[in-house]
Amino acid sequence: MDDISHLAHAAPGQDDAQTTGIMDCDVHPLFADGIRSLYPYMPEAWSQRFIRKRAHTAGGGLTLRYAHPNGTVVRDDAQPEPGKPGGSDPRFLIHDHLDRNGISHALLNSLQSGSLCSVHASADESIVIASAANDYYLDQWLPLDPRLLYAPVVPSQDPAAAAQEIRRIGHHPQVAAIAVPPLAILFGNRYWWPVFEAAADMDLPILLHVTGSEGIYNGAPMPAGGMPDTYIERYVTLGQGAEANLNSMVMNGLFERFPKLRILFVEYGFVWPIPVMLRMDRLWRGLRHEVPWVKKSPIDYVNGHVWFTTQPIEEPRDPRDLEHLVNMVGAQNLCFSSDYPHWDNDMPMQSLKSLPPETRDRIFRTNARDVLRLSA
Amino acid sequence: MAEKQEIPIGPATRFQPGRFTMLEIPGHDIGVIRLKDGTLRAIRNQCPHKGAPICRGIVSGTWLPSAPGALTYDREAEVLACPWHGWEYDLETGAELFRPVPTRLRLYPVSVRDGEAYVTVRMAEIGQASP
Repeated sequence: MDDISHLAHAAPGQDDAQTTGIMDCDVHPLFADGIRSLYPYMPEAWSQRFIRKRAHTAGGGLTLRYAHPNGTVVRDDAQPEPGKPGGSDPRFLIHDHLDRNGISHALLNSLQSGSLCSVHASADESIVIASAANDYYLDQWLPLDPRLLYAPVVPSQDPAAAAQEIRRIGHHPQVAAIAVPPLAILFGNRYWWPVFEAAADMDLPILLHVTGSEGIYNGAPMPAGGMPDTYIERYVTLGQGAEANLNSMVMNGLFERFPKLRILFVEYGFVWPIPVMLRMDRLWRGLRHEVPWVKKSPIDYVNGHVWFTTQPIEEPRDPRDLEHLVNMVGAQNLCFSSDYPHWDNDMPMQSLKSLPPETRDRIFRTNARDVLRLSA
Repeated sequence: MAEKQEIPIGPATRFQPGRFTMLEIPGHDIGVIRLKDGTLRAIRNQCPHKGAPICRGIVSGTWLPSAPGALTYDREAEVLACPWHGWEYDLETGAELFRPVPTRLRLYPVSVRDGEAYVTVRMAEIGQASP
């Protein structure tokens, strides 16, 4: 048997010379002081409402069964100072993550906002929270470093308001995508058309990522088959929602209706699209006439309109198998993401070492340019 | 190179639009159908995909590629859908519909003289098992 152990992991620092110009499509910031950080960015009537409700005491929303077994999803070693969670201090994040890892573009994706805007807050509250959160990051983070990009969160419980929010801030040069918190309404549904229309008009891709509300709150996407019992079990199956949404988008002709639309699936891993693509293609060949607006193979729509971030990178027992998986999903459609500062992050130096250098390079440095809207 | 043989298959009027009439030629499994323009089409009764008896499939039109939410039905009696997985074939050309690199039905030349129809097969094929 070949000795393949060297392919699985590289020592930290081994690849320092190559870690420049990396595009990281998933970095998670936090409000410095929870929702209270947003109050200066709200109309007073709304901030007073949240203060009166003691909104800051409403937790992240994870039920006991889905609480992380080690207590938090945020790395303790990424804390800017004791007691402050990783991701809550932009200057620390810039140094600790961007400088140290040769990252030239870091797409900020606020899960805090996404959770609040999916079903954690009411529809009206979520509209206020989304705008306040977006203004917070535009004001307090983006001016600090041009390497920071931002995916504004939109209030997905109201697609018209979401579209309005896209048009309000979508022109900012560091806005590179729009984060749409998933609901229990698949993205091929006409409910979402105003959101896609606004994003396409502004040449912004749609970023999809779990919000944490999945399987917990009514109205959030539910797991298939039944309720998982534990964090680990739920984590393994979070990609089910992505599978359902990719299928829904293609079969409803979304990319025929919005030919400029680009979708970026983030933090679902990248092996799950392979069986979905193969299954869609096979079924389309026989049952195409049920959805004649799907004018070509579903695989062609995925190749042309959909990108996937790499984290959490699947780790086959034989690392050489990874290259087959990358080729099957399409190396041109994969974008590196770290998920910093979360516990399950992938750091550039150690990631995708078993791939040919040119493939690794395009995933790290090139492909994101095809999906994100970059000002330069 | 196998010799071609023209085999009489009866009066042309026995072949109808919309359904296949099966021939009884030893070593061959061939169905014949009349297309909308009146010509006869003979095909091997075997789907290129998984070998299904495709002449038992649906002969109809199909819903052409269209805008989202719209339906356009056309090509009545010119499309054959396999009874197993439903792959659609163009009875005019034998090609699978809407694939850049289509699979193809095996077509046999048919001719009509003095009201009698003939199908042309290769001699070497007679008696051979289907692949």
